[in-house]
Amino acid sequence: MAAANGVYVYAILPTGEALPSEATGVGSPPATLRLVEQGPVTAVVSDAPPQLRARRRDLMAHQELLLRLTDRGPVLPMRFGMVAPDEDTVRTQLAGASADHLATLRHVARRVEINLKALPAQNALAAVVAEEKNVRRLREEVRRRPGYEASVRLGEAVAGALSRRASEAGKKLLHSLTPMARAVATGPEVHGCALNVSFLVDRDDSDDFRAVAERFAAAHRTHVELRVAGPLPCYSFVSHRSAAGV
Amino acid sequence: MTLTTTTYADEIAPCPPRAGTLYDVLELILDRGMVIDVFIRVSLVGIEILKIDARIVVASVDTYLRFAEACNRLDLERDSRSTTVPELFGGRAAKSMGKRKVRKAADSLGETVRKAVGGGDEHDESEERGERPRKRRAPARDGAGRRRRVEA
Repeated sequence: MAAANGVYVYAILPTGEALPSEATGVGSPPATLRLVEQGPVTAVVSDAPPQLRARRRDLMAHQELLLRLTDRGPVLPMRFGMVAPDEDTVRTQLAGASADHLATLRHVARRVEINLKALPAQNALAAVVAEEKNVRRLREEVRRRPGYEASVRLGEAVAGALSRRASEAGKKLLHSLTPMARAVATGPEVHGCALNVSFLVDRDDSDDFRAVAERFAAAHRTHVELRVAGPLPCYSFVSHRSAAGV
Repeated sequence: MTLTTTTYADEIAPCPPRAGTLYDVLELILDRGMVIDVFIRVSLVGIEILKIDARIVVASVDTYLRFAEACNRLDLERDSRSTTVPELFGGRAAKSMGKRKVRKAADSLGETVRKAVGGGDEHDESEERGERPRKRRAPARDGAGRRRRVEA
């Protein structure tokens, strides 16, 4: 099949899985998906749309498809925006790296990723003032001798305290959740996040896992705001780089 | 697609239900997942813009001043003698900046943090910039903005 802009690759599956009904790909109108089968592994692909970029629409399409695939069986999710020149290149890669792919597929089978971000607590200022000595002291200074410099120092102390408190609570949570996970991967640094970490969790345990995280969040709301995302495709638990099969 | 418009309808898709959580997984979609060296990665231009927009700097003097103001706001609620707020603006004090700003500062405390992780609006905003090349003219932006509000 001719693909002027190349072949967008979404995921690698064990051969034999069918596409979810009515699933579509990136682009506008959404691209039609197809399977490129090569022995024991199969790639989910579509024609790449012209001028593909990280549009919200296409990020969502990528994510939605991977979520649907993840609901049905083991999936190796590709990073957004992987485009092969043609189907032959995809086949060659699959043929050369099928053993690796199968091993990774076994690793993520019946498992999901849950991502957790710890952010400074919103609306926790009263607790910060009440509990942080340094903030209290600087606040008194501002009240005694108001001014720009004193305010900056106070604000800086508040910001520092908010993020330290979030970071401490995040570490505590990491410590208590790690035994429940099959694997743990630190996420990319996200500005403003005290902690960004992903857990590989058995699908059957994912509700319990979330519940534990949410209970912790409720108990530490003056320290940290937690954002729990998942179950997700196992983005953080597939090999980041596979050069094999060239 | 809600067809309340116009010529830009093809550029912005309606948001699926999970849209609100896109930011929470954005860095995973962009920075994790399998990479295969023989495949090409799409141009990162739009991606970079989107990521930067989602990350508003929390550690800035402006944020510090807001935090300090909010601290004072706490004082004001408990202690009517506190009159320091106008000085926080470095003596520019002006009554016009008084109460309204203080309230705004207190409101924006949570907002600041929320912004740092990208509230709902930031997504659209950042996509807007990511999607639209520089050459896009002002009227087009306005049109798209109006339409988006209608959709929301």
